[in-house]
Amino acid sequence: MAAAGSGWAAVCEKFRTARTLSAVESRKDPETEPYRSKYSARALLQEVKQLLSAAEEGGEARLLAVRRAVLEYELGVNHTDTEELSAGEEHLQRCTQLLEPHRLSPDCVSLYIQAQNNLGILWSERDEIKTAQTYLESAEALYNQYMKEDGNPPLDPSEHFMAEEEKLTDQERSKRFEKAYTHTLYYLAQVYQHLEMIEKAAQYCHTTLKRQLEYCGYYPVEWALNAATLSQYYLSKQCFMESRHCLAAASVIFSQAGQVPSAEDNETEQDQQDLRQRKAEIARCWIKYCLNLLQSARKLLEDNVGELDPDRQLELKAQRKKEEDEKEKGRKKAVLFGTSDICDSVLAMEEKVSSVYPLDFQEAREIFLVGQNYVQEAKEFFQVDGYVTDHIEIVQDHSALFKVLAFFEEDYERRCKMHKRRIDMLEPIYADLNPQYYLLISRQLQFELADTYYEMMDLKVAIGNRLEELDSHTIKKINSLAQLAIKYYELFLDSLRNPDKVFPEQLEEDVLRPAMVAKFHIARLYGKLITSDSKKQLENMQTSLEYYTFLVDYCEKYPDAVRAVETELELSREMVGLLPTRMERLRAKLCPFI
Amino acid sequence: YSFSVEGDAIKVYVRVRPPSEGTALTDGDQGLCLSVLSSNTIRLHSKPEPKIFTFDYVANMETTQESVFSSVAKNIVESCMNGYNGTIFAYGQTGSGKTFTMMGPSDSDNFTHSLRGVIPRSFEYLFFLIEREKEKAGSAKSFLCKCSFIEIYNEQIFDLLDSASAGLFLREHIKKGVFVDGAVEQVLSSAAEAYQVLTMGWRNRRVASTSMNRESSRSHAVFTITVESMEKNNEIVNIRSSLLNLVDLAGSERQKDTHTEGLRLKEAGNINRSLSCLGQVITALVDVGNGKQRHICYRDSKLTFLLRDSLGGNAKTCIIANVHPGSRCFGETLSTLNFAQRAKLIKNKVRELFNV
Repeated sequence: MAAAGSGWAAVCEKFRTARTLSAVESRKDPETEPYRSKYSARALLQEVKQLLSAAEEGGEARLLAVRRAVLEYELGVNHTDTEELSAGEEHLQRCTQLLEPHRLSPDCVSLYIQAQNNLGILWSERDEIKTAQTYLESAEALYNQYMKEDGNPPLDPSEHFMAEEEKLTDQERSKRFEKAYTHTLYYLAQVYQHLEMIEKAAQYCHTTLKRQLEYCGYYPVEWALNAATLSQYYLSKQCFMESRHCLAAASVIFSQAGQVPSAEDNETEQDQQDLRQRKAEIARCWIKYCLNLLQSARKLLEDNVGELDPDRQLELKAQRKKEEDEKEKGRKKAVLFGTSDICDSVLAMEEKVSSVYPLDFQEAREIFLVGQNYVQEAKEFFQVDGYVTDHIEIVQDHSALFKVLAFFEEDYERRCKMHKRRIDMLEPIYADLNPQYYLLISRQLQFELADTYYEMMDLKVAIGNRLEELDSHTIKKINSLAQLAIKYYELFLDSLRNPDKVFPEQLEEDVLRPAMVAKFHIARLYGKLITSDSKKQLENMQTSLEYYTFLVDYCEKYPDAVRAVETELELSREMVGLLPTRMERLRAKLCPFI
Repeated sequence: YSFSVEGDAIKVYVRVRPPSEGTALTDGDQGLCLSVLSSNTIRLHSKPEPKIFTFDYVANMETTQESVFSSVAKNIVESCMNGYNGTIFAYGQTGSGKTFTMMGPSDSDNFTHSLRGVIPRSFEYLFFLIEREKEKAGSAKSFLCKCSFIEIYNEQIFDLLDSASAGLFLREHIKKGVFVDGAVEQVLSSAAEAYQVLTMGWRNRRVASTSMNRESSRSHAVFTITVESMEKNNEIVNIRSSLLNLVDLAGSERQKDTHTEGLRLKEAGNINRSLSCLGQVITALVDVGNGKQRHICYRDSKLTFLLRDSLGGNAKTCIIANVHPGSRCFGETLSTLNFAQRAKLIKNKVRELFNV
């Protein structure tokens, strides 16, 4: 018995060495012999296997089977690691076969799940994602069944080759078991992504993040970035409550990263800078959150000419009241991050901004202000000197925040001032930007500036229409805004010209719509210019007609373009029909004798 | 209105190198896995059906260095003189003739060698054009050429003209675009000088790969020439500047690795590591959404960031995909041709293509 005891110690020792070789030593293997340690580990495992079968007669059958399953598992992983998939599969299959009858018992369940995880990986390497999925889903089911029926911390596979006194604590067992299951979910997230089951993939990513938090298996910065990125997924699905939850959690966990001194403690300046950048990235996700919430609310509230619809507003307010009672229920359905402590901080963070559609200016303004604060925070890192693209993107978001806020503002004068703020932030950047390196952004800015001036002009016209008579100041204002809008639309259209300054015969698909809209708006703007000089007025009408005609002719020549500009085309056709008559009438007035 | 502009499609050239002498003897004609059908089509003898690929230009084994240069680079150098940025990428597996195409025979540092490659010829042509311009305009026009040479390995940037430096960073300037902060810039006055700087940097790359355990087949090398012209027209001074990037991409065998990784699961491993790839999964999920109003926290790779302008902007860009015709290279050749095909077709997604 004593001999057997010392023999057993030697077996355990061999097993332990094999594991160290495989997990630790192998990482130091030279490039020329990448699997050296893996092969040595494999040899040791084979030896252990032989020693085990030699001892077979005396031992208890079940115990032996489990130990052999552990070895098959290790050999299976070893073979897949060294790109011998078929051999790996055989070992892993043998492992699951040995464990099959006992897979729900505490000494087998963890090993069984890990074997299935590895079979999942193995099949994915053969590009058979569906097969991988069946293994991983059955691992998931087994975990759930075990937790329901037993739930005690099960043995870790390594314990089967440990002396009694070395065995793990329940806490450690539970930690390792949960980790294996987290891996199952993490692999499933990838499987669903590959199978394009996007919603399910997102759900599994979410749950994986949640479990990382619960079992402390995460790096705060990385975790926060992942959560912030996930929030952007929810944003694209218009799930604002989930999106906000992810962002709040990201902010909370990120703030911990700053407090915990890093392992090496001698943080370089680069690390500090990285940290500041990450913080700014999370701020940018928040900006997008505020922007999306406001824009979605605008979509709900606007009438067919893009103004706030008061009936719709009342309707939605009533509907919200009804829903408020059910809100609590909805909350519980979502996956929540964190245990009590973290959860409290996350909830506190969430309270700073709403996740329901704002329905009036006051509500919209609150969200706007939160967004604007994050704009400042993001800009602190992404300064124009060094981060041109990022900086401008943030400024564009800021402008978009003002634009959507203006929608909720009833007072036209104040609304106009908001648009002026947009001009003030965009114009200087545009003036400095070199289109040779930033063509796309430069075009976006041209277009946005043009649009903003256009919008301001429209507002001034609306204000003027309320007056009994247009005063010369207002006329001057309207004309100058229209001229500026025309200037920027023309700059945009010029940017489409080729090196020889020729406008393209056929527009590329990605600029088709903006180019056509620019033409259309210029046509309208010439129609809006106010002048008492009839000759000048005739000239403006002529120019307007030319631009409308461009749209009509272009769509005739390239019928594919019609889809992109249906409304604009219809109106253009109408104007092409009307304008000549109007011009004729004006001409007649000018020279009554002809 | 949101819109994106990605500019002209990238031009794609394929060059087939002759099989190395040893293989030609043993394999014979049956040993070739492809045949060039015309100056822009290539047939790959895949089974069961052969595959036909079409590119902007296919250079067969007999095509001369001069003719490769004329069809590929001449145009790009010319537009560089007109103020446009240009980029030439070389792509292909190790041994597919990348270096021969770009530099010339490896055993000579000789700039005047009759088999010199695209790069020395581009230098010659660039300086020829500059001289011609100068003659035409007299003292009214002057030129300044500068170059830098960097290497991207493991998402880190090294300066090949200053072997003492390490870890440079990319920054952006509102007027000058993306640049490598702190990279040495050398003033050039002739094609020979440019070639000298290039070979010196190339040697540094080799030294670094042995002494610092970097694998040169896994690194991207970017040689950039800045051409600045100043023209005085009465009182008005007109300054124009453009870049010519010559890029040696990491060996395509590495490309293949990352390609297959697209389908398999990322392992978490047994060590106490967090699931760092989860971010990639989540990013992919967000990418699917079409809405523009979102921000993804994970950045482009260094290479795509540096060459942002070349991968969709107002720049002229071409790829020379080099392939080895031997049947033993079938897999590699197929993956190179597939890559080149994708680069040609998916102009809006070119950035993804290079995000290695």
